[in-house]
Amino acid sequence: MDPSSKDRPKDGWNPDLNQDEAIIAQERLIEKEIAEKICLIGAKCDLMRLSSEYPDDDNAFQEKIKDLRKRYQWMRKTRPDGNCFFRAFTFAYFESLLQDEPELTRFITVAEKSKEELISLGFPNFTIEDFHECFYGVLNRIKSGEISTSEQLQAVFNDQGISDYLVVFMRLVTSGHLRSNEEFFSNFIEGEKTVKEFCSHEVEPMYKESDHIHIIALTAATKVPVCINYLDRGQGGKVTVHNFPEGSSPRIHLLYRPGHYDILYLDSIQNGAVNNV
Amino acid sequence: MSSALRRLMAEYKQLTLNPPEGLIAGPVDEENFFEWEALITGPEETCFEGGVFPARLTFPPDYPLSPPKMQFTCEMFHPNVYPDGRVCISILHAPGDDPMGYESSAERWSPVQSVEKVLLSVISMLAEPNEESGANVDAAKMWREDRKQFYAIADRLVRKSLNLPLN
Repeated sequence: MDPSSKDRPKDGWNPDLNQDEAIIAQERLIEKEIAEKICLIGAKCDLMRLSSEYPDDDNAFQEKIKDLRKRYQWMRKTRPDGNCFFRAFTFAYFESLLQDEPELTRFITVAEKSKEELISLGFPNFTIEDFHECFYGVLNRIKSGEISTSEQLQAVFNDQGISDYLVVFMRLVTSGHLRSNEEFFSNFIEGEKTVKEFCSHEVEPMYKESDHIHIIALTAATKVPVCINYLDRGQGGKVTVHNFPEGSSPRIHLLYRPGHYDILYLDSIQNGAVNNV
Repeated sequence: MSSALRRLMAEYKQLTLNPPEGLIAGPVDEENFFEWEALITGPEETCFEGGVFPARLTFPPDYPLSPPKMQFTCEMFHPNVYPDGRVCISILHAPGDDPMGYESSAERWSPVQSVEKVLLSVISMLAEPNEESGANVDAAKMWREDRKQFYAIADRLVRKSLNLPLN
């Protein structure tokens, strides 16, 4: 080995380069590559497609997918960008509103009130009004019939500008619920963080993944019950099913695989039976 | 109008109507709301007291989903400012973007932060450098080991920013 080599810069090391920004730039590039491959909200497809994502002899997954197919027939994939829970939840819920005017009317009132609630919690109006307006605007387009089909709604959710603003607003609603029930939720936050710190680090910023606490808060704030099917490598051959809130009869159904949420649709023939899961 | 532009106009209006103490900020020219200039007053009872430091803020097209960048356009010597003037504080980064290792409780970027919050954080940074995050290694070392010398340099920067004769 050349004895002087230790004095030379290492391969690829450039002392003038800002390492911080180089790492961040690389992360952004990876995210962009993912973004270009997968729609924010994909087309509805047969749940059979899920089996083909795993090797045939991967029994842990194949058995559980069979179990899942007893109740669900279709799925819709979402982009794995850390916002998938919020985007999947919002799309599935809005899609259900296309055929449910009383629920739409109820939820428009909830959305209307939520802005005042956020302001009363200390969010400056100018930081939340654009998100609220966008969210409220989409609900009104559903109400007026301008958005009346799943395909139209899907197009709205694949318009990144609108789609991300809907996600931000749902994040704020979640944060608002956590902050207004600070005492209760402080028991569920690990480490030394306060509820406020948790909200500003783990809920309000884009791309931060969701945990149980986000789901509990969002379903409670919106009063939209959700059923989540957990598909992982655990033993047992059956997916684990959780309803939020516990004991509720779910309005929307999501599939969770470690780190990611997609949307599920019931088998229309067995529709009635599933609510009793 | 893009949503980023609408938000920046709202923030500019807000800052003009209720200017926080010690700072002025606004677009460099009304044609381009994505480049702002800010003037930051050194906080009282610190070594930067009385100085008026100009900086440039650059906003991304998806602001406020992503944070702005900030760079002093005057000479600056501070542990959390790169030698080329770029400011390195936690609020300018989304959580996750943290190879610098900020404290986990430090304030982070999110869409409900604002230019005002960023500038107020910069004023706090001038008052209390974060020793863990050394953007300028020489400044961080001097702050730790030779505070007197650091104060002397800060005093020179204050005078320079005011066009006063240097001692």
